[in-house]
Amino acid sequence: MTVDFIVRQWNAWAPGISCREDWQTWRDRQTFAQQEKAAIPAAVPKALQRRLSPLARAVFNAADGCIDNDKSLPIIFSSAHGEVNKSLEMLQSMQKGEEVSPTAFSLSVHNAIPGLFSMAYGNHQEITVIAPGQDGIAPAFIEALGLLQERHADEVLIVLYDEPLSDFYPSLPFALNAPAMCALALRISLTGVGLSLQLNRSSAHRDDDEHALQIFSFIKFLVADDKALVLGNHRHSWEWYKK
Amino acid sequence: MENELKQLIIDTLDLEDISVADIDSDAPLFNDGLGLDSIDALELGLAIRKKYNVKIDAEKEDVVKIFASVSALAEYIQAARD
Repeated sequence: MTVDFIVRQWNAWAPGISCREDWQTWRDRQTFAQQEKAAIPAAVPKALQRRLSPLARAVFNAADGCIDNDKSLPIIFSSAHGEVNKSLEMLQSMQKGEEVSPTAFSLSVHNAIPGLFSMAYGNHQEITVIAPGQDGIAPAFIEALGLLQERHADEVLIVLYDEPLSDFYPSLPFALNAPAMCALALRISLTGVGLSLQLNRSSAHRDDDEHALQIFSFIKFLVADDKALVLGNHRHSWEWYKK
Repeated sequence: MENELKQLIIDTLDLEDISVADIDSDAPLFNDGLGLDSIDALELGLAIRKKYNVKIDAEKEDVVKIFASVSALAEYIQAARD
């Protein structure tokens, strides 16, 4: 399988890094600020702002820099863990015999952030939320390219996001824990001006890191001169190639 | 009681920019007035149960009337406690 596509625009947020120049600098030192929260975009109605978790703020911040507010487009969200840390907090409070907050529950599910995003931006297009497990970031691209190939839309937004898991969860032997919270948004199309990429199935058997870390690998690929990026596991591998 | 309820609403629903004085006792809480939604209603129901030991049963009660305004809510809690 080979599919050509164009990255029309991309934007990413991590603590202390909020623009492309910051990411260029990050490529060389790969450090993050501590505990910084992403700014909430002006487009978000006041009543919804109080519902935004730090991870939601990162997602909104990254996505907002990639979209035109007058034009809704389909979105593929992809996150390994989503708001699982919130679920853990709820389980721990249940263990103490406390009642669960309905708001906390509604904001803990895997499609919570995409749901808030749809409400905040009045986006009624197709919105898909993937929990790709070991398959990393590739399924989000395959899903988005599927929508473009089927001519559902001229452009699709991909939003990849994850945050560090609570220490409660054992992360070894899986390479699934991120060094920092991160959200990456990419607006892609089949034609037009932008970074021209090709997605190929690769026959390589790899043991790459999982979703949370693959986001950083992909950002590094975007800001570096590298021609190709291969990510995968023992079952599937994919190559992104700069044409 | 009404001011106490207003503070409970602000604290429970994270309405950071709003103070007790900003909430009109007779203004609608949902949609137009404070702009609260159904999740807020559930959250508020839980907070009221914890604080006043008053359970609002959505199956049996007219919740739209109970949650109409701060004064309506205060009246309901008062009556349920007596």
